[in-house]
Amino acid sequence: MTSNYDIEKVRAEYIGKETPPVLGRYAAEHDPIRRYCHMVEDRNPLFLDAHYGEKSRYGATVCPPAGWLAMYFAGLGPWPPTIEPLLPIVPTPGRRFVNLVVETENFKPIKVGDRLSSKKRVADVYQKAIRLDPEAVWIVGETIISNQDDEVVCIVRNTYVVHRTLQEVAAAQAKMGKA
Amino acid sequence: MKSRQIYWEDIEVEEEIPGYDMEIDARRMVLQLSGSQDHYPIHFDRNFARAAGHEDVFMSSGFTEAALVRVITDWMGDEGWLRKLRLELRRQNRIGDTMVCKGRVASKYVQDGDHYVECEVWAENQREGITTPGRAWVILPSREGSQR
Repeated sequence: MTSNYDIEKVRAEYIGKETPPVLGRYAAEHDPIRRYCHMVEDRNPLFLDAHYGEKSRYGATVCPPAGWLAMYFAGLGPWPPTIEPLLPIVPTPGRRFVNLVVETENFKPIKVGDRLSSKKRVADVYQKAIRLDPEAVWIVGETIISNQDDEVVCIVRNTYVVHRTLQEVAAAQAKMGKA
Repeated sequence: MKSRQIYWEDIEVEEEIPGYDMEIDARRMVLQLSGSQDHYPIHFDRNFARAAGHEDVFMSSGFTEAALVRVITDWMGDEGWLRKLRLELRRQNRIGDTMVCKGRVASKYVQDGDHYVECEVWAENQREGITTPGRAWVILPSREGSQR
């Protein structure tokens, strides 16, 4: 061990912790959906063509069934800046993170004009070494997203690994060696 | 472009889901930032990524999810429903890679009146092979008339 991080204490305090609900800054809109589709060259008219959507079984343009886009419409977005952590702030030795698992369960379509809200919950926290950091912390978070009718439209589960930089690991190892 | 509608009865286990491929280049990185609104510098700042121990910047989870959602939504048609998608982001897709996204039908079954097809989906590139294995659970319309 190169730090005094107490994973059992963190687990006891944070597993099951929820954030207060957040109402998305804007309604689900055409243009963010268009930009989202553009990045992967998705031409599906259900997502891009308002007239086509109106005649579809949904009666409206819908979002691609992707957790990331749902979280965007259910959150406050990157600008203007707000304090909206991905998860209730779980203390970790490092600050760098990588998203390793994405799981989205879809229950209802998200239509243009829907007002989404979200709350986040820590499902699990554990410690497991990775190549970059022997004391990396893994956090499993759930985002529960609802529409204006209080229907849960999707649940997104992400597994993040939070780690230190190589310099931070080396510095911690040197410090513990001297102690 | 409207895709043809597929029906549960017509699906064969082990059948391939065609997918597509795309070049990861500087333009794609810009589209990624615009489309995902994920501004974490590990996806565009080489110094930041290298300080964290990565070889280079890499495509985000939001981008990769969008890429594999497209494999399914292109295939399942307007009447299909992507009930669940799980992805493991094991390796990276980076500038210079050709990212190939596709899938295969793993099984089919009826549950609570819904006609499910369970699929393997994945992204791969020429450097790493499969970077992102995943699994999708799709509800398709039935020729017998049941539809979610």
